[in-house]
Amino acid sequence: MTPRALDAVLRGTAERSPDVIALCSGEHSVSFGELARAADGVAAGLRDLGVRRGDRVAMALPNGPEAVFVLYGALRAGAVVVPINPSIRAEKLEFILGHSDAAVLVTTPEHAAGVRDDLQAVVVGDEGAPPGVMGLAELMATDPLDDAGPIELDLAAIIYTSGSTGRPKGVTLTHANLAFVTGSIVEYLKLGPEDRVLSVLPLSFGYGLTQLLTCVHAGARLVLEPGLGYPGRIVELLVGEQITGMPGVPTIFRVLTSLPGLGDRRFEHLRFLTNAGAALPSTTAAGLRRCFPQARLYAMYGQTECTRVCYLPPEDFDRRPGSVGVAIPGTEVWVADEDGVEVVDGEVGELVVRGAHVMQGYWKDPVGTGLRLREGRWPWERAMHTGDLFRRDAGGYLHFVSRTDDIIKSRGEKVAPREIEEVLHGAPGVAEVAVVGVPDDLLGEAIEAHVAAMAGAMLDARQLRRHCAERLEGHLVPRCVVLHDELPKGVNGKIDRLALARRREDSRQ
Amino acid sequence: MTDERERLLVELRVFVEDNYLYLRPELQLQDTDHLLELGIIDSLGFVEIVDEVQTRYGVQVADVDITEQNFGSIAAIAEYVGRKRAQ
Repeated sequence: MTPRALDAVLRGTAERSPDVIALCSGEHSVSFGELARAADGVAAGLRDLGVRRGDRVAMALPNGPEAVFVLYGALRAGAVVVPINPSIRAEKLEFILGHSDAAVLVTTPEHAAGVRDDLQAVVVGDEGAPPGVMGLAELMATDPLDDAGPIELDLAAIIYTSGSTGRPKGVTLTHANLAFVTGSIVEYLKLGPEDRVLSVLPLSFGYGLTQLLTCVHAGARLVLEPGLGYPGRIVELLVGEQITGMPGVPTIFRVLTSLPGLGDRRFEHLRFLTNAGAALPSTTAAGLRRCFPQARLYAMYGQTECTRVCYLPPEDFDRRPGSVGVAIPGTEVWVADEDGVEVVDGEVGELVVRGAHVMQGYWKDPVGTGLRLREGRWPWERAMHTGDLFRRDAGGYLHFVSRTDDIIKSRGEKVAPREIEEVLHGAPGVAEVAVVGVPDDLLGEAIEAHVAAMAGAMLDARQLRRHCAERLEGHLVPRCVVLHDELPKGVNGKIDRLALARRREDSRQ
Repeated sequence: MTDERERLLVELRVFVEDNYLYLRPELQLQDTDHLLELGIIDSLGFVEIVDEVQTRYGVQVADVDITEQNFGSIAAIAEYVGRKRAQ
């Protein structure tokens, strides 16, 4: 039988390889059999708390075995998981709990202290639960659940993602959505039981969650860390745990490739690296090639709304610089104009995604949903409009141009910040760059570059402009370069352009 | 405590304060406080501190040395640098 729901995928792997290690985290090792039993225990405990099929179970936990038990336990109980980054601020946590009508929150003692009375809190932590609050161990100490699990049409997760308007939006994904995208990723990464994946990405992040789902699907081992933390530990894990694959975002790869002596090591087991979350600057890609010459490098692009959109096969990495490749297996994408009509190759338009991975919509937001999900190839289906501008080259490979809302229009010409950012990344001493547009009477929008220096490097704004002038067309040279110690970032480590824009407005008042 | 150790602690404290605490002037950082757990330094910050330590004290830091034991607090870094210089 082909498993259709995510909890059934875990049970399938546990039946095939009960004693194989599924998860290593800190000092803990958990086999697939133990993981399936723990999930059963959590599911039964949640049911005893009154959680019914379709109820939302929020989880704000650092990466670790408990977070994995809770995630699969909630799925097993037919509940909808709302994974939340544990570093979330109290106000935003409160918004998400209220908006999703969460019945239960499983979290750390700090967050548990502030929750509303009508919400059941369950606490995970070494210190044990505060008085009156249930601990996870207590929750799990019940008889396993014996009812049937969810079916694939059931909602599996609501993942909140920062919207360009400020308020987080809840992306709704069914078991079918996530199981499908999991299978597609396993296929192109060729993930198998012999693989060992090291992930420092939070499980609350779509890219982090798929590491767990793909490993469980493939019967591979997931080595889960609560964050990048002390880089020496990551190097030790890569070598000691004989890691075969590591997902990352550009910041993670920049830290790793700047470690002293890393280039002299041999990581003989490491066969692949994946990048998503933000485009990989060519300097960082070169660093990865130098430090991990035998690892295949996958440039990928995704959105929480469908988890993953496309990937560049590693053998094409050098032939298609800057491309994020082709649609993931079993899906299709095209580039459309403002009326939704497909444009010819080479032209810039909005990327549209069609496949079984596309979300059901934004939770309790029909207007936002209508903007993103529109009629697809058939009247009854919905294709997803990404809001991101792409171009497809003559070979059919996709190139990210810009988010629609990042595009700068200067002197009547469309300017993609990314092009300028790439040039600035190539300047010596530059660590971080974000290029934004500022309103200007003469130009429409003027280009402003925000730059942070590497440790010990001294940057000169005028020299950076000169660097751009030597490499870019005149209208692309930033009018001013603002130096920062560090650029503001969101919880997933992406540069927060909105904060940069707000800072600009603040300084003008 | 030797004078050298004391000087190391002072210099490292100044470096951390100048580079990571300017946005949190209210924080009274102790030498044994956890730099990562308190959110004072992230992974990128450790790369910067390693660079500083290598340049300033002429010690060779190995990638696997960048752990909690050696870089977890100002005291830990001072201890590590002192040990490396004595080698």
